[in-house]
Amino acid sequence: MSQPTPADIESLVELFNRSDWEEMHLKTEGLEIFLSHDPKAQPPGQAPAAAPAATAAPAPTEGAAAATAAAPHMAPAVTAHDIVIPAGMVAVRAPNLGTFYRAPKPGAPPYVEVGQKVAADTEVCLIEVMKLFTPVKAGVSGTVREICASDGQMVEYEQVLVIVEPDA
Amino acid sequence: MSIKRVLVANRGEIAVRIIRAAHALGIEAVQAVSVADRDSLAARLADQVVVLGPAPSKQSYLDAKLVVHAARATGCDALHPGYGFLSERAQLARLCAEHEIVFVGPEADIIDALGDKLRARAIAEEAGVPLVPGTDQIASAADARKAAATLGYPVVMKASAGGGGRGMFVARDDQGIDASFDRASSEALEAFGDGTLYMERYVENARHVEVQAVGDGNGRVVHFGERDCSVQRRYQKVVEEAPCALMPATLRSELHASAVTLLSKLKYKNAGTVEFLYDVDRQAFYFIEVNTRIQVEHPVSEQVTGFDLVQAQFRIAGGEKGALPRQDQVHLARHAIECRLNAEDAANNFLPSPGRIARWAPPSGAGIRVDSHCTDGYLVPPYYDSMIGKLIVTAHDRPSCVARLADALDDFAIEGLTTNLPLLRYIARHEDFIANDFHTRWLEQTLLPAFEQSIKE
Repeated sequence: MSQPTPADIESLVELFNRSDWEEMHLKTEGLEIFLSHDPKAQPPGQAPAAAPAATAAPAPTEGAAAATAAAPHMAPAVTAHDIVIPAGMVAVRAPNLGTFYRAPKPGAPPYVEVGQKVAADTEVCLIEVMKLFTPVKAGVSGTVREICASDGQMVEYEQVLVIVEPDA
Repeated sequence: MSIKRVLVANRGEIAVRIIRAAHALGIEAVQAVSVADRDSLAARLADQVVVLGPAPSKQSYLDAKLVVHAARATGCDALHPGYGFLSERAQLARLCAEHEIVFVGPEADIIDALGDKLRARAIAEEAGVPLVPGTDQIASAADARKAAATLGYPVVMKASAGGGGRGMFVARDDQGIDASFDRASSEALEAFGDGTLYMERYVENARHVEVQAVGDGNGRVVHFGERDCSVQRRYQKVVEEAPCALMPATLRSELHASAVTLLSKLKYKNAGTVEFLYDVDRQAFYFIEVNTRIQVEHPVSEQVTGFDLVQAQFRIAGGEKGALPRQDQVHLARHAIECRLNAEDAANNFLPSPGRIARWAPPSGAGIRVDSHCTDGYLVPPYYDSMIGKLIVTAHDRPSCVARLADALDDFAIEGLTTNLPLLRYIARHEDFIANDFHTRWLEQTLLPAFEQSIKE
């Protein structure tokens, strides 16, 4: 079996998040993955390296900084912005690479704040490419739970920008 | 080297090639990818990877603004466009210049001028580079006969308003003109609403030859010999070699001089290729166009000269003194042949065959080079062109090079998806190819029918 790609692991985590399982333990040649919704959970056996994925993910706002500081010639693993979306939450992702802006113009109040209600067509941020500003919509009605990129930061395609808890 | 960090705005084998050349010069490489190439070899070799957008090229590799934005956001001071994609879009060179990013290629205005076929022909004519001899409009069969006497038979009559081969009539003598002039004119009228004809020399036995050159931007241009790329299918090159062994030395020198004169007049900067049609029967060559980028087949010129052309591109772009060698330092020796390996089914109308490569086992040995981004388990995505690598063999002369090519192709094992290896093996062992006796339509007219027949047997 060939090594799983970061995308494979990402989809595994997504599958796990959508499932009603409490834990998942996968072991193949040269790879061991342990997923759990319990932050205090310990993987079975003596495999301390396989930390729960949910806690292994770095803080999302550090994404770009971590990527820029990557050591030369280092094979990129799961990139820093591949954060785990908590179960039941919806991620608003970047439609392309660009610069992330929280407000329509400098000095203006941000589009949204954490805790704010949004509709599907509410604009939540801007992505700029060469002075072309594209508003990004929430895509779902609910409540903003997290803003995952910082103002003026470069974001990549599909990077998580905002996390929304959909209305029940 | 004044360049510190380069954005690689391409994918596949050329991205790998560019990253390795950058690293050899101490330049950091940022690889811009589409989401489909996040786990590619180039992404693994680069110092940093940025995901531009989704898999379709239009939303990733073909979006000049996105690519330049990525270069700026990652602190790059240079951008290498590779070949294909945005490499010959003046817009990209212009955007780079506006944002003080060194474009590893010629200036935007030069790309514009040479990208326009009519302007390029005018530039060539002014530089004294031969074009296919032809006429202005011809009014009658009598005028046509008179013009043909100057041009020399065979000639081809073409519709002024036409294109794509319609309304084209080949005449081999005066009788041929009398027989077809009226028909050519009425067919042109019917097809294009204009019966005006013009006439050109008809090149029956044509080779595609091209001169690899590099300019310093101040008018000094050095050539790295010519390549013969006559094995083509639908104008796509399949096999390329250096030198053009068929061409006599004096004609070859004239060919090189033409390319150098043309690019010197433009104060051409960086790597470029001047393409010609080589009329074997008349021992003449005619200008086709200039490619303002590094080309797929550049390795054969590297093999016969010993120069690394991609490194040269960086050194020229970085303004390094002495980056361009003197012409007398470029020695042309040996023979090199390149085959393009494609994930396509040559036995089934060249249907693309993307998929997972179960085993990738290239040949190795003296005079064998493989430029590729493929590895065991690599998934060839369906979104881009089907080239999966290039096999380049080098030997002291053409006959030994062809023999080495055939052996190396036999040793090449690719499992898990269909490739054109069977076709390449058939070419390498075909008597016409071995005898160097073919022309630009040989693959389509002679080799492919024979290949298809061989599969059925």
